[in-house]
Amino acid sequence: MKAQVTHFLKNLVTIKGKNKGLVLYLDDQCAYTDLLAELKAKVSDPALDSDTEVTVHLNNRYCTDSQIQELSEVVGTNPHLKVVATTSDILTVEKSDQLIRESQSETYVGIVRSGQVIKAEGDLVVIGDVNPNGRVEAGGSVYVLGRLKGAAHAGTKGNRDAVIAASWLEATQLKIDNELETMTDELSSLSEQPEMECAYLHTNGTIIIDRLQELRFIRPQISTFKGGS
Amino acid sequence: MGEAIVITSGKGGVGKTTTTANLGTALALQGKKVCLIDTDIGLRNLDVILGLENRIIYDLIDVLEGRCKVHQALVKDKRFEDMLYLLPAAQTADKNDVNPEQMKELVTELKKDYDFVIIDCPAGIEQGYKNAVAGADHAIVVTTPEISAVRDADRIIGLLELEENIDAPRLIINRIRPHLMKAGEALDINEITTHLSIDLLGIIADDERVISSSNKGEPIVMDPSNTAALGYRNIARRLLGESVPLMSMEKAPPSLFTKIKAVFTK
Repeated sequence: MKAQVTHFLKNLVTIKGKNKGLVLYLDDQCAYTDLLAELKAKVSDPALDSDTEVTVHLNNRYCTDSQIQELSEVVGTNPHLKVVATTSDILTVEKSDQLIRESQSETYVGIVRSGQVIKAEGDLVVIGDVNPNGRVEAGGSVYVLGRLKGAAHAGTKGNRDAVIAASWLEATQLKIDNELETMTDELSSLSEQPEMECAYLHTNGTIIIDRLQELRFIRPQISTFKGGS
Repeated sequence: MGEAIVITSGKGGVGKTTTTANLGTALALQGKKVCLIDTDIGLRNLDVILGLENRIIYDLIDVLEGRCKVHQALVKDKRFEDMLYLLPAAQTADKNDVNPEQMKELVTELKKDYDFVIIDCPAGIEQGYKNAVAGADHAIVVTTPEISAVRDADRIIGLLELEENIDAPRLIINRIRPHLMKAGEALDINEITTHLSIDLLGIIADDERVISSSNKGEPIVMDPSNTAALGYRNIARRLLGESVPLMSMEKAPPSLFTKIKAVFTK
């Protein structure tokens, strides 16, 4: 009995109530097995008897996917608790590098000809034309300083805020996230002179084409520029 | 040391072989020693257009497989003294019987003895294309004012631009019909060059006599009065470094006199 009391005194798991359910803060310095044992004891507290959504916060501990799974299962031993998210204050170097790449912009100078595919993890700036059957893909937005006459895919990894902008938007196909638009004649939004236009994803899931100048109202978050006067 | 030029297009039937035959002949007429290589193995045509079909004894495959020496396989065009030669393709083999290294070696060998080695590339972007471009220093892309031909030209230019040993490709627009272009029914020269954005080497008017002369085995370029022939001659001069203005495709507008005459003859 005494041993169990000292175990609780370590206080490896702190439970806090937030406006949307509970947050379990897990100690990041102790051994993982101790943490697991205390978590099990804490969640089996009979006071936790109403259905609650739980967020597990790992602080500065790095957990593998299987460990995260295991922690969720332990929390789930109390049928009233449901883990909705697992958060952490740390990133692996790999993940951090990827985030950097995804936030950067890559520039391609040249013509994307038929059969060629240009891909970027972040934004993509093409200085030159994208010819029919040429393809440009970006995790972020696609900007073409030239004629976009091929296919463009923005937000390849699920960024639905990504846009496609071109000096001349005469693409065969536009895709943002997983929404595809084939630019056929039936499309009412096609203009005769598709000069300086942009395409974005409307909240209803369709791709809308508008004047480039409207972008600052539609997607103000794209702007990364700070300062200036 | 001469230079090797590959004539290619991606799409078939736009006039690669006709261009090869005429350009080679035009350069020979300008006093250059020219060797034409037909790399369309299995579907050879260049020999027919040049009228040299009957004189073929050995072919490209015989040379590459060591059954004969290069000079034994070369067919001399007697109309041009010692200036124009053809290395014919084999008809009984296929494109996979040759590899790019062999072609490169052969072309390098021929460049020593000739001012120009002109390589006629087969249609497509497979093995035959790879063989044809392997030894080339320059590339000429042939297209016609049709969207399908221009699309394929775009693809082939993209591939040529990836080849490290080949200069920026240049363009020939073949089979131009001025009346269709003027009516906006065919792509115009400006549209094609902006789309492909490579240097325009020359334009060739569509002319029925090109077909009839090919059938006779006499390249049209031998007839100095023909407009298509003039186009090929101009291209040859440009290849030799001369600056020749692009010829006008429009016929001169009818003069006042002919207009008046037309009124009375109605």
